[in-house]
Amino acid sequence: MASLLKLSQNLAKLPKNNIAIQHLRCATTAAKPNETLLNVPPTKVTTLNNGIRVATEDWGSQTATVGIWIDAGSRYENAKNNGVAHFMEHMAFKGTGKRSQSQLEIEIEDMGAQLNAYTSREQTVYYSKCLSKDVPKAMEILSDIVQNAKLGSQEIERERGVILREMQEVESNLQEVVFDHLHAIAYQGTPLANTILGPTANIKTINNTDLRSYLDNHYKASRIVVAGAGGVSHEELTKLAECTLNKVNNEYTAEIPSLSPCRYSGAEIRVRDDSLPLAHIAIAVEGTGWTNPDTLTLMVASTLMGAWDRSQASAKQNATNLARASGEGDLCHSFQSFNTCYKDTGLWGVYFVSDPLKIESMMFHVQEEFMRLCTSVTEGEVNRAKALLIANTLLQLDTSTAVCEDIGRQMLCYGRRLPPHELVHRIQSITAENVRDVCYKYIYDRCPAVAAVGPVEQLPDYNRVRSAMYWMRV
Amino acid sequence: MLSRGFARSNNIVRSHIQLWRPVRSYTKDAKEGTQNELANKIVTDMPPMDEPVKGLPNAVYATFKESNQKTQITVLPNGLTVASENRFGEFCTVGVVIDSGSRYEVAYPSGISHFLEKLAFHSTSRFEDKDLMMGTLEKHGGICDSQASRDTFIYAASAYTQGLDDVMQMLGEVILRPRITSEELEYARQAIHFELETLGMRPEQETLLMDMIHAAAYRDNTLGLPKLCPQNNIMKIDRSMIFNYLKQHYTPKRMVVAGVGVDHALLVDAAQKYFVDATPVWENDSEVYKGTSVDESVSQYTGGMVQEECEIPQFASAGLPVLSHVMIGLEGCSHQDKDFIPMCVLNMMMGGGGSFSAGGPGKGMYTRLYTNVLNRYHWMYSATAYNHAYSDTGLFCIHASSPPNQLREMVEVIVREMVAMGGSVSEQELRRAKTQLQSMLLMNLESRPVVFEDIGRQVLATGHRKRPNFFIDEIEKVNKDQIMEVAKRLLSTQPCIAARGDLRRMPPLDYVQAGFLNGEGKMPGRKLSLFR
Repeated sequence: MASLLKLSQNLAKLPKNNIAIQHLRCATTAAKPNETLLNVPPTKVTTLNNGIRVATEDWGSQTATVGIWIDAGSRYENAKNNGVAHFMEHMAFKGTGKRSQSQLEIEIEDMGAQLNAYTSREQTVYYSKCLSKDVPKAMEILSDIVQNAKLGSQEIERERGVILREMQEVESNLQEVVFDHLHAIAYQGTPLANTILGPTANIKTINNTDLRSYLDNHYKASRIVVAGAGGVSHEELTKLAECTLNKVNNEYTAEIPSLSPCRYSGAEIRVRDDSLPLAHIAIAVEGTGWTNPDTLTLMVASTLMGAWDRSQASAKQNATNLARASGEGDLCHSFQSFNTCYKDTGLWGVYFVSDPLKIESMMFHVQEEFMRLCTSVTEGEVNRAKALLIANTLLQLDTSTAVCEDIGRQMLCYGRRLPPHELVHRIQSITAENVRDVCYKYIYDRCPAVAAVGPVEQLPDYNRVRSAMYWMRV
Repeated sequence: MLSRGFARSNNIVRSHIQLWRPVRSYTKDAKEGTQNELANKIVTDMPPMDEPVKGLPNAVYATFKESNQKTQITVLPNGLTVASENRFGEFCTVGVVIDSGSRYEVAYPSGISHFLEKLAFHSTSRFEDKDLMMGTLEKHGGICDSQASRDTFIYAASAYTQGLDDVMQMLGEVILRPRITSEELEYARQAIHFELETLGMRPEQETLLMDMIHAAAYRDNTLGLPKLCPQNNIMKIDRSMIFNYLKQHYTPKRMVVAGVGVDHALLVDAAQKYFVDATPVWENDSEVYKGTSVDESVSQYTGGMVQEECEIPQFASAGLPVLSHVMIGLEGCSHQDKDFIPMCVLNMMMGGGGSFSAGGPGKGMYTRLYTNVLNRYHWMYSATAYNHAYSDTGLFCIHASSPPNQLREMVEVIVREMVAMGGSVSEQELRRAKTQLQSMLLMNLESRPVVFEDIGRQVLATGHRKRPNFFIDEIEKVNKDQIMEVAKRLLSTQPCIAARGDLRRMPPLDYVQAGFLNGEGKMPGRKLSLFR
């Protein structure tokens, strides 16, 4: 128990740039000076001979999550092969040289485990949640599907239909549609504009050769992280990765793919459809890449914008101004702020769903709040947002899957796992002044990207939206 | 070094720009156009995220091994039970689990619990407004939540462990000393109204169907009372009704204070201070709440049908499929029943899900509702088995959806599949269902709030908590005969049905009943006549 208190004790020793942490100075147990005791297990990292990094957090529990994180995704595609990363993810589940699709499925089901995968714009992830005793088997299956997917032409043909069906599914989720449009205009002319699924034409034509060459040039040892959390021993997982992923190398068959910077453009797209009941709108500015020190400040700014939906009572006493305005003025059905990061760029903004006749008022309040963040956000609210951000970040690391996901993502984005006390320290160091400066830098007088779907007639003209990105007053 | 202020030299420049802005420069490329001075400057005085911050104390980490944890339980003199378990991590989850919910609302307009859910964590005797309370909680990095179910009401908060006392004070205030001002009541009304509206608009139907099937299964009694506040009651429910209800149900004997990741003695002290020494507000209130007594009646399973003809989705243009939903249930068993665990295994064996759902293997792809139903009838959109268990009864049901013109066939398929539960069970599917149930249990218990809820519910129901390993062993013991036995038990009860959507092709209740009576689950009346 005593050790639980020590994180805070040492935080309190850090420069007193914040009032909120001072209450934490209640620990009595003495840690050595310049040491902080954390009641979490360490993240151990080992690099294998071929360059694969293995990172684990061992809780000694009865269940575990292990996975393979790959620095590859739709950003590495071009107009011709857009969709291949996602197609490959699907094909991984369609059988390997060693096991057929149904053998693979039954093996997983019989273990009571789960096998899952996803493709994002910059990462491809395969992971499995299982009982700790089954970690070796899960790891063997994961490495098998990543290295030895059969890519049979029959299976490929069948999968086209499945992916097209998935596309339909995505299209019925208007939030995803809006975010795809937002990327398409904000990053127009660059690979980040592409959707992850790819256009129908590509889905219908991608073939064995495309998949194979994608696999050969992207699933490379130095771009792979094996992550584990829950009941996993680091030594064991390292050995398992060494045995099962030994065929992965760093040799490219084609030109080594390079990551070209993705240019941001302020622009708007309106997909007007008056048959829909509600308007779905996102407004964003260019944010930061993963490693930028301003990223956490933008996260605080996002927290200050907040999130809200109509089923939450007590609009008047909501923590954020925008939530209060939304509740009092019945401005929208829901809104949420977002800060999407990529390697060198990002999108920071707000997404809302509103009645067609409330769009203008909602936009006004959103942008007014943007301006307030840039000019007059106060220390008190920043402190609240910081506390909330820390709580949400740390509290969500509650399951082995969430922790494993965090390890994998951070290893790819930062090349290390950010220790919890460092994260807390970084967030605690943020002041209202810093939030104002950072917002001023990224938001004030910037060209926003706007994507709107539905009955969006009332959305103000882009020039008006743009001119609300600055104030003609102090 | 770390406390050094951030570069602020541009302050004057900035206000200058704001006052006298030159002609705006539109740029396509934000990188090129420098519209403000800060754009090219370092704003946050920290190293990039991929480099460690220098000068931080060295971290000394903990290592864990699954220890033989114990749930400690103390009963305070007034009957309030306090239960806790230690756990690693910087955070704790504490809360109160109360024997209260829509099943006890028979003497009130339905919806009291729904109101309480919305009214939770507002102003109290001590905290003048919600902001003040949230400020206290946020100080400890905390978040809070309340949740009403049919028979249990849960208030919970997670926060840094050292914030325990403050968090407990907040919980005590919220539960025993709320103010419930007319303004708050108005907001709760609005929130409920919006929630009902949203539920009607969303393609997901589970919440609405669950209320409907419970209404069909337990007609006008206990668990059949609606959990969602009916539209007509939104304006009826007032402050004195709510306080009356609270006085009846929020009594020490009906509550368990539970905590995970806390020191038991500290939790007991805090419970004594904020739940016993500080009295509930209704005891000192000048207004007299002379309510009826608590509804102790045992649930009466009736079976029956509840239908709602409507359009799903409400707005077809969003690219969503037009569907009719049906839920068919049978009376299950209570969570204290000897058949409870075999019933859970049977539920796992039926499994199911969406015909098109994300996620790879492990979602139950080889359960019966997939292999016998979704994989065979491609027009079906979803089929999922549910098993609800309460203190005195249970409800085992299957939810399915399909295009409206195939509604009749879908009901037939589901009835046939339910009747087939009484048939033979293969060794392989039983083994798989048992393993999946075991791993699901352990996986769910990874999460601290889930452990909290598990402790709270078990202690409230039985006074003690059985360890996960107890259930693992019990699951292991389940055999084929038990599965067939519980299936027979289920099939000996009257069906209950809830249906929503375009119901022109919905077979009547007696057809479904006849289907359950038929050995093969065949419904009558399917003659090949043109003039039926």
